[in-house]
Amino acid sequence: MKRLRTDPGLCRSCQACALACSLVRENGRSSLAEARIRVEKPVADLRPVLVVCRHCARPACALVCPTRAMARGDDGLVRVREDLCTDCGACARACPFGAVVSIPRRRVRQKCDLCEGRPEGPACVEVCPVGAVLWS
Amino acid sequence: MHGYGGSVLTADLSTGESRREDSAPYTGDWIGGRMLAARLAWERIPPGAGPWDPENTLIVTAGPLAGTLSPSSGRTVLSGISPVPHPFPWYTHSTLGGWFAGALKFAGLDALLIRGRAPVLSVLEIRDGEARVRPCPELAGLDTVEVQEGLKTALGPDAQVLCAGPAGENRVLSATVQHDFECAAGHSGFGAVFGAKNLKAVVVLGRGGVSVARPGDLLTAWRSLGPYRMNPEHKFLAYERSRDRPGPEAARPVCSQACVNDCRIAHRDRTRAGGTVGIFCLAPVFEGEGIPAEYARPNPRGIAVPSLANLPPGERSALVEDMNRLGLDYWVRVTVHAFLGAAEASGVRDLAGVALPRDLSGSMGDILTDLAHRRGLGGLFSDGLAVFLDRHGDALPASLEALGRELVFDFGFQAHREGRFWDREPLPYWIFSAMLYATEARDPTIGTHSLMHLAEIQLARGPEALAKFRVLSERLWGRPNVLEPDFDFEAKARGALWARRARMVIDSLPLCDFAFPRLLKSFDALEGWSSETNVLGDLDLDLRLLEAVTGVSRSREDLDRAADRASALERLMILRYGRNRALERSLASHFELPCRDDGTALEPGDWERLMDAWLSACRYDLETGAPTPELLAELGIGG
Repeated sequence: MKRLRTDPGLCRSCQACALACSLVRENGRSSLAEARIRVEKPVADLRPVLVVCRHCARPACALVCPTRAMARGDDGLVRVREDLCTDCGACARACPFGAVVSIPRRRVRQKCDLCEGRPEGPACVEVCPVGAVLWS
Repeated sequence: MHGYGGSVLTADLSTGESRREDSAPYTGDWIGGRMLAARLAWERIPPGAGPWDPENTLIVTAGPLAGTLSPSSGRTVLSGISPVPHPFPWYTHSTLGGWFAGALKFAGLDALLIRGRAPVLSVLEIRDGEARVRPCPELAGLDTVEVQEGLKTALGPDAQVLCAGPAGENRVLSATVQHDFECAAGHSGFGAVFGAKNLKAVVVLGRGGVSVARPGDLLTAWRSLGPYRMNPEHKFLAYERSRDRPGPEAARPVCSQACVNDCRIAHRDRTRAGGTVGIFCLAPVFEGEGIPAEYARPNPRGIAVPSLANLPPGERSALVEDMNRLGLDYWVRVTVHAFLGAAEASGVRDLAGVALPRDLSGSMGDILTDLAHRRGLGGLFSDGLAVFLDRHGDALPASLEALGRELVFDFGFQAHREGRFWDREPLPYWIFSAMLYATEARDPTIGTHSLMHLAEIQLARGPEALAKFRVLSERLWGRPNVLEPDFDFEAKARGALWARRARMVIDSLPLCDFAFPRLLKSFDALEGWSSETNVLGDLDLDLRLLEAVTGVSRSREDLDRAADRASALERLMILRYGRNRALERSLASHFELPCRDDGTALEPGDWERLMDAWLSACRYDLETGAPTPELLAELGIGG
């Protein structure tokens, strides 16, 4: 399975990846809080923290999900079924990387799905001007 | 409404109360950013309010593109009555890059109005549109990095902060409102207004979002950007692709959210603590490459521009860091260092009884720290160089006082982009600047940086550039000679008007004024530039971004009209504080000095011709300089 790889050494904290993510995955809503990729920039340091789902082989989020809304498919992709999600937040608490986000408007949790179904591939990869987010 | 946060929030620091209202009645005609601020200021700041008065309202605005993928749209605009203008204050604005405007929008706000004065040093905290004034005496004296790191630790990494440093707390006129490490609202002294309001910081947490009307069109517009490259001889913006450049410069830092550019003015630098930070614009420019050697020769009034490139090794980085942490505008270092250098060269040993140091360049850090704390030699300049000269000018050598006056010739604002000091502005570019200096509320940037770029290319490419610029001029202004190096003031007024409108639009959407408007096509190499007759770039990219985000179709004429409306209101506000054409005549003397690049200058009497042409182009009254009633009525602000 192709995965997202990030290079914080190249990242400039412009957050274009996050803004594109929410734009594409939240139907035209531009929001850092609802983006499935997060860029945390320290004040006096250019080295940001990039947070995005790693589609773990044994995903803690799926293991703790009481409704099986979060599950890893045979293709290795960890997906959220929003119709099953109760917004309990167990997945977010279990994720060791902090990669699960809350979407309060829909009362669900979400995470990166590698822009599944988008012909151009992940939006974050498309818009990153410096190649700090790669799809390989 | 697509593209907007939806609310205007007014916070009263005196009472701790706040009030939210719908922003839609304001954003329609006034779009956002600087335009929106002008509209709110006209209505909300009582005429006569001084910069230190509780009634002075500091207006923080975002624009419709902020918080979206629109490139470099993270810019924030601060407006209010500024303490900097000399001899009396008036309304002006200042913009800063960074990530604050997006957070404001995500909190549901298009504008934040801060009035009153807190009883003790306080933080204005905004969470998803709700305001709280929190006393924070423990933050007194902290620098801007300490304040931001503390607030982010307390509130989370997504909190975005505007803050004042020690300079602001001490009401130093060159005090910035600082954000992140290097982003600052620098020129208008709003850090000092923070101080007067007992406001240490504004922190905003926004967990919402902005609705984009046509996300597909926004991505299409984004894709059309491409790598922005220009004439390789271009000093500032020879954009290169980061991916093509290995090593430590692989990814130049950005100073604004969603910026896709790879800007040559951005550099990585080290802090004392070993962190890596982005440094933009001023420091690299003034520490060497930006100032031609011939500038050191005295002009006919005996004024020479002292070199600023003689700092000890490592001192540049330290100075930049110190000034950011103190919350001081780096321009004050440029003017004060130049002034003190000239004083030293004149044989002056002390100023107002305070001795000059033996090693001036090596002492600049201490001098600027003192300036921020109103003590010692630096403290002589805490109220600005213009006020220092009012107090002590009589005791100075005439040439030194003259240098000082010219350094802050624009009503106390530091000279730049006028061809006599720091920037390369041959004819006709300094005429555009002169026109804008004459009527704008603060030092202008001539039509964003676009015209400055043309000036540099003209200097580098000579007749070849002029030939291309005639084609550009014909296409853009309907006549070929707007960029011709001559004194046809009517033609130059067309260029200046374009510049004024472009700047207002860029400040209001907002976008980066280095990268927009894209006056020139992007070129990979000099050969591409040389073989192209029509070099006019994609001027409508901003329109496409705006329409994609808001869903509202606007023409260039619509935006120009909105810009004229806001400019007229800004003009009325500075006139009601005492500006007038007679006062603005004092600027003529500066432009009668020869241009450093080509020796051109205004002759006696030229200023009045220049002003007649410029005011006519603006449709302002030739006697008073005020927008005519007919213009105001046409713009919908008459009556």
